[in-house]
Amino acid sequence: MRIVIAEDDPLLREGLALLLRAEGLDVVATAGTPDAFLAAVDEHRPDLAIVDVRMPPTHTDEGIRAAVEARRRQPGLAVLVLSAYVEQAFATDLLADGSARLGYLLKERVGRVEEFLTALERVADGGTAIDPEVVAQLFARTRPDTRLDRLSPREREVLALMAEGLGNAAIAERLVVTDGAVHKHIRSIFAKLDLAPADGTDRRVAAVLRHLNDAHRRA
Amino acid sequence: MPAHDAPPAAAHEPARPWDVSVRARTALDAFEHLVGGIGTAILALIMLLWLVFTAAACLFGAGLFLVPGTLRALRAVAGRERVRLSRWGPEVIGPGPSPTGLRQAVADPATRREVGWVASHALLGTVLGLVGLTLPLTSATDAAFPLWWSFVPPSEATPSLGLWTVTDWPGAFAVSLLGIGWFAVTLAVAPGMARLQAWPGRRLLTPPPGTDLVTRVAELTATRAAALDAHATELRRIERALHDGTQNRLVAVTVLLGASRRAVSRGSADADALLERAQDAAEQALAELRAVVRGILPPVLADRSLTDALSGLAGSCPVPCRVDADVEGRFAASVEATAYFVVAEALTNVTRHSGARSASVTVRHRDGRLWLRVTDDGRGGADEHRGSGLAGIRKRVEALDGVLTLASPPGGPTTLEAGLPCGS
Repeated sequence: MRIVIAEDDPLLREGLALLLRAEGLDVVATAGTPDAFLAAVDEHRPDLAIVDVRMPPTHTDEGIRAAVEARRRQPGLAVLVLSAYVEQAFATDLLADGSARLGYLLKERVGRVEEFLTALERVADGGTAIDPEVVAQLFARTRPDTRLDRLSPREREVLALMAEGLGNAAIAERLVVTDGAVHKHIRSIFAKLDLAPADGTDRRVAAVLRHLNDAHRRA
Repeated sequence: MPAHDAPPAAAHEPARPWDVSVRARTALDAFEHLVGGIGTAILALIMLLWLVFTAAACLFGAGLFLVPGTLRALRAVAGRERVRLSRWGPEVIGPGPSPTGLRQAVADPATRREVGWVASHALLGTVLGLVGLTLPLTSATDAAFPLWWSFVPPSEATPSLGLWTVTDWPGAFAVSLLGIGWFAVTLAVAPGMARLQAWPGRRLLTPPPGTDLVTRVAELTATRAAALDAHATELRRIERALHDGTQNRLVAVTVLLGASRRAVSRGSADADALLERAQDAAEQALAELRAVVRGILPPVLADRSLTDALSGLAGSCPVPCRVDADVEGRFAASVEATAYFVVAEALTNVTRHSGARSASVTVRHRDGRLWLRVTDDGRGGADEHRGSGLAGIRKRVEALDGVLTLASPPGGPTTLEAGLPCGS
């Protein structure tokens, strides 16, 4: 897996590269600014980019915009966004065009190396990785009159794990239940959220996005 | 005034009008006010003469140059009386900034009323004040008449007002009685005189009836908005410092710790090197956190005055440094913190770059600003665009809407001056 890292803090940039290289991953370039990052993407055509949200010059959302631009230039580029804090707007901006090959994690998750590497692989393989904190805020902000309210507590737990990007088997393992039980919960979630089976879209992603957007509109 | 919040009886209206001690205290207060009134009355007298002079000069055109200064002086003199009156009665609220030109001044009702006050207080205030001073002296000399009348030439043995010439003892005791009478008169009329002396000010220096304090409210709104703005800028600066510094360092610590745990589980020899880097990062985080905290509110300012804190800074400066601070009381925390930061950074620059043998810090409170001047006798040539110290100082000062000037010719000396608005 060929990786480009965009992070403006030198210590963190080098730390990340060190960590990934020690794990045998191929970090082909590191960049400290959005421009340098886009140049590196053009030059190396990586499989995955790890991007910090706050980058020069204004330190607001340059990282998100650079990530969106990089995906426009190289469709199919997997992007894992790292953020110092949870910002709902960033998550929805990023996921606006679908959630495949996207991740949004808090920076400190990198320290839990195993989980971080799993998330990295999941994103590179076409999946999604959303930080549990993002998901938790999503649920916390939702008001009682939304469709989310129809879900049972267990179904919310399942939706939260889906939002993090876990598959059925992983969800079953995390909740210590059988695969069949997870299946049943997910069918019930789809039904309660009015997601028809014939839609053709990925209903798991649709369920998550619907509520990301819901929460964003209300925020 | 409702009964439940009436002041203690002695203050203005004695509850027991014939109780001499209460009377005496009231009279003493009134006496103090009358004497204080002489001060502003003399100022008003000088101001009145100056106004007449300016007006006369205006007839020849030359006076127009004097107008702005005269108007400022007028407002300042009136301001003194407002402060004096506010100390012992209802607060006298002043108008906003003084008009600058003759035309605005003529159109400004507050200025017209101030001119009226200057004239009446210059005359009435002085006369009442002098009478108020003379009355107790008269009663004292007359009451003591029997003690001294026999020592003066017979033609001068008269009561204070020279009503008649005393030739025998009964007459002397009569004068003594007269003195006691004067004393009673003093007790009776002093409070009224003090009120009369204050009357033009209370009447003319308050906002004219009908003004609804619109400009005053607008002015307060503007300064408040500026204060909030400075506050928001300050919060952004702190947030940025915490985010870009401390938080990133701590994230690096967790990343490096994660990496070293993996190295340990792999049995790799890199673990120790990774742990050392993690420790370095943690130490950097601590150092930056300290800097941020010191930047928010230096701990020394929390329990000591600005002057003490600055003296502490000067004391720990390797270049001999003298502090000359002529300020009293405390300022807003943000002003004190910024003042401290400016002096700390400036002295760091002096130590690092100037090669100076001595430095001095001057602190003054003037024109609603706290002025700080840091001077050294070093080689000069300080440049704001090289190095972040001076740029950081400017940012902090401008966040409070302050001004910063730097004079540093090659060869020195270097003078840095900052003025921070402090709202009083």
